[in-house]
Amino acid sequence: MSAPSENTPALQHTLRLIGLSHHTAPVAIRERLAFRLEDQPRALSLLLARGCHEAAILSTCNRVEVLAVGRDPSVDVATLVRQFLAEFHAIPEKDFSSSLYIHHGVDAARHLFEVAASLDSQILGETEILSQSKEAYRIAAEVGSCGTVLRGLFERSFFLAKELRADGGIGRTQASVSSAAVQLAKKVFEIEGRKILVVGTGEMATGIVRALRSAGVGEVWVASRTAARAQEFAAQEGGKACDMAHLVDHLAAVDIVLVSSAAPHYIIGPSQIHAAAALRRGRTLCLIDISVPRNVDPLVNDIEDTYLYDIDDLEEVARDGRREREAVAERWRPRLAEESREILRKLSDRGTTDAAKRLIEHTVSLRQEILKQVRSSGLDARALEEIERALERMQGRLLHGPLETLKQAVRDGDGAEASAWITRLFRLEAQAAQDATGLNVDELTGPRSCKKADAPHSSAPDASSTKASSNV
Amino acid sequence: MSVETLSLLSLACFAFGAVAAIMAFRVEALRSSLLQFGAAGFGMLFKTAAIGMACNESRTHFFNSPSEMVGLLAWSLGFSYLVALLIAAARSLGALIMPLVTVLGVVALFVSKESVGIDIPAQRLFAIHVLSAFLGYGLFLTACGASLLYLEQARLLKRKMFGLIFRDLPSLERLERLEMVCSWLGLVIFSVAMVTGAIMASESGRPFWLELKFLSAQVTWLVFLVMVIGRALRRLSGRTAAKCVLAGAALVLITLALGHPFGRPQAASSVNFSLRTHAAIHAERKLKFTLQRSSA
Repeated sequence: MSAPSENTPALQHTLRLIGLSHHTAPVAIRERLAFRLEDQPRALSLLLARGCHEAAILSTCNRVEVLAVGRDPSVDVATLVRQFLAEFHAIPEKDFSSSLYIHHGVDAARHLFEVAASLDSQILGETEILSQSKEAYRIAAEVGSCGTVLRGLFERSFFLAKELRADGGIGRTQASVSSAAVQLAKKVFEIEGRKILVVGTGEMATGIVRALRSAGVGEVWVASRTAARAQEFAAQEGGKACDMAHLVDHLAAVDIVLVSSAAPHYIIGPSQIHAAAALRRGRTLCLIDISVPRNVDPLVNDIEDTYLYDIDDLEEVARDGRREREAVAERWRPRLAEESREILRKLSDRGTTDAAKRLIEHTVSLRQEILKQVRSSGLDARALEEIERALERMQGRLLHGPLETLKQAVRDGDGAEASAWITRLFRLEAQAAQDATGLNVDELTGPRSCKKADAPHSSAPDASSTKASSNV
Repeated sequence: MSVETLSLLSLACFAFGAVAAIMAFRVEALRSSLLQFGAAGFGMLFKTAAIGMACNESRTHFFNSPSEMVGLLAWSLGFSYLVALLIAAARSLGALIMPLVTVLGVVALFVSKESVGIDIPAQRLFAIHVLSAFLGYGLFLTACGASLLYLEQARLLKRKMFGLIFRDLPSLERLERLEMVCSWLGLVIFSVAMVTGAIMASESGRPFWLELKFLSAQVTWLVFLVMVIGRALRRLSGRTAAKCVLAGAALVLITLALGHPFGRPQAASSVNFSLRTHAAIHAERKLKFTLQRSSA
């Protein structure tokens, strides 16, 4: 659990990220706390009803996280969410509370950035998490639980995740043995439509065959000493079983050979490859031997136009990939931390501007209300005009002090506190709640913003109020 | 804009492309075929304009100074690289070709711009001969670049050295295809150069087929012909074919050295002899015309 770390603004006290992931909880707990997509709108509505100002839920196979903003610092968002999780899933709190992590303010933002950028994922650099984050954001926006703060945070996290991928390393290298096999094959051929022969039906072969197929490999032939097992594997992977006795013919016909057998000796040696090469007429052959002990004689690699890789080679490619991804992640972590501080500062400054804006709108609406009453009293037009001008002057003088103080407070770094006081003194909370999701975050995160979450402003400020607002 | 300005602009584009292609092994952001295409494309645009302007200014001779010859070689290599990017998106090839183009561009700026040949009016046949010969050289050298990359990638794959270069180089198959296409295109275009050269040389009435330049060109042409036919018939493939292309490229360099006056007195080839004859005929015609006008 992390504690508030900086002398950062109000969001440090109201923004919380509560959750658990593969780092802290086994799948047995994660699966019990997971939210189905169709349950998420209801869950978000409940969170809002319980005192959250904004909320979003990210629920994947590796993590369940609730990002929430409290209505004010007095609301204990962490406890609220913890209780909510227990009640919603009907699980005793003690069953999962030790697996929970709670991030405050800047740390919550940093964690969100790292998650979206897949720096917190099981496989560093995987892409699925970004689309899952986008989905979480979309649902929150549809429900209306995503206001200025979460919108700003999510949109920034998507932008940073994209930038990180463009930086290289993360997306370029392979981190698993299956993808390493695909990468190696891709360095030999353009693998679309290539034929693959699977010799043996070892467990790891399935993963590699699937990875190769999704990369575009065409026909899959399966040969095994046990014909029934070959047929089963072929049926499972959409290939066709073939006879082990005609191995040389098969070697002559295919482009990639994946060997994953439990035989204690070499199944394929130079003599078979030479025999097949005579029929291949110079076509390149790529052999991937993932069996231990190895089933392809290493001397095969010395034959012209034949490339052989064993499990160690695949591991090395994957390890290099993981190392490079780690290096990129390490390079990016400080940047994401800095970005989280920056976005929170910007969002808090927005909070100060909002307070000023709401104060102006409040006084304008009061002025309009009084004018309406005066108009109904039957005064002549000239007197009405005089009163209207007087009220305008009064409004200007009345606001001058608080707005100047607010301005000074922003300069001194106390903007959040000052805006909180102004909100309390002038009882602007109700208006704040009404305004919650209606702010423009474009200047924080660029033009992309979720229109569905936009709520109309409570009243349109007149020219003088807009001017006063922009001064702050 | 002057010829020098255009040449400098093209050089800047080529240099940028060269740096980007080399840095791309380390920097992901530079790993873009579009970036390479842009650098090579703009470089070619400026270079073509510079060559066109130079031809237009000189009128009386065509690619006859060492500077123009080297510049033309850079241009043909740039063109071939664009072809390679189009047919195989072989961006990594830029790490070989673009620095070479840049170096040739720099050399073209510093070597003599004086014509060492004979001042003759631009002849269409000679223009076709020179252009097709140089385009052929460019394509053959690009095929050679692809072969070098093929051999390197094959070595890395065999020795299981999975480093930065391995990751950034294209697949063996793509490199082989690029090598093949460049060789085919080069062979066709170089055949045009051979035929036009033979026509021009035959006008001299000398036994041009015994000249070193012509012999070397013939052998180059033959090597590439054997290579492409061997490949088509699947008799040649992989590293053997790549080595064949390297041998062909070495012959290209010999032909270039033998046949073109890079800073030395005009080579005594039949084509040049023919050019001299044409120049003499042209001078005679011009004199006759001037005399006729003055007498009239």
